Amino acid sequence: MQVTPPQTLLELFTGFLAIGARSFGGVMPWAHRTMVEERRWITPADFAETVGLCQFLPGPNIGNASIVLGKRWFGLSGAIVAFLGLMALPFVWVMALGVLYLEWASHPVVRAVVMGVGATGAGLFMATAIKLGRALVRKPAAVALMAACFLAVGIGRFPLLIVMPVTAMIGIFCARRGWL
Amino acid sequence: MIIVELALHFAVLSLISFGGMPAVMPEMQRLVVDVKGWTTPAEFIQLFAIAQAAPGPNVLVVSLIGWKAAGLAGALVALLAVCFPAAVLSWCVADLWERFKESPWRIAIQRAIAPLVVGLIFSGGYVLCTPETTPDWRLWTIAGATIAVSLMTRLNPLWLLAGGGALGAFLL
Repeated sequence: MQVTPPQTLLELFTGFLAIGARSFGGVMPWAHRTMVEERRWITPADFAETVGLCQFLPGPNIGNASIVLGKRWFGLSGAIVAFLGLMALPFVWVMALGVLYLEWASHPVVRAVVMGVGATGAGLFMATAIKLGRALVRKPAAVALMAACFLAVGIGRFPLLIVMPVTAMIGIFCARRGWL
Repeated sequence: MIIVELALHFAVLSLISFGGMPAVMPEMQRLVVDVKGWTTPAEFIQLFAIAQAAPGPNVLVVSLIGWKAAGLAGALVALLAVCFPAAVLSWCVADLWERFKESPWRIAIQRAIAPLVVGLIFSGGYVLCTPETTPDWRLWTIAGATIAVSLMTRLNPLWLLAGGGALGAFLL
């Protein structure tokens, strides 16, 4: 597949603007569609590799991807331009929705609908966790770590700043032994 | 100064958000609701819902929290604070990544983080459905239905959000 990276900062900006503008129900599929299928900036394998890196790093995955790709194509200005392009429209929309909601928040039906959407979002999180977790259930050490994280953070409400380093160290120890 | 607190807390969150924003939702809820009291538990779910329904990265929930805590400046500061440290890290690591592709340490860290992320994302959902200390059965009914549909079909999540909203009007 023949790919051509964006030639100008404006092109980079409008590309990421298009990703942000259309990304209802998840950004990654739209990032793939825009950069791989429509604009042909990057090969599918390269895209998957970049996303893999950004999922591994802390921070919003797609935000990190905008930094990594912007840097690759235009250096610092590219990273800034890609990030701003990505966030600009969604920021405006989410704030507009927020303001609109505040106007209507006292209305019981509006409130109930929004709470329902929130509970659905929570369900989507748990479904994602179950899908990811299914690949790990055959390893007892992985099951123990998943359960420990849930008990400590979900039930016990311990600060992540304590739980993360402790469980990560146990996890790395287990992984080096070949238990994960 | 709420703005400074927002900046500091969200910057720290940025650096420990392995697994992306879903994995730090429980910590964000703990910080925003339990520790700082910037929103009530119910408001937190509502802001989360708005961010889910709007297009764009799910990280934008932090700008709604920032807005609730400290107005428009709070919205911008919270968003930048949660993105900037991770962005700097991505900037630095991007070139190293290829070189350490076969490194046993990279593989060990990747394998170690996977189960943590699963536990944390599940906690995020659990915490959102449990705004007070006891789980709210109506929220759990909607979340449970979402889990079932989402595991059994490949429906676009937007349909599920719409259905959940309708179910909310009926139940809540």
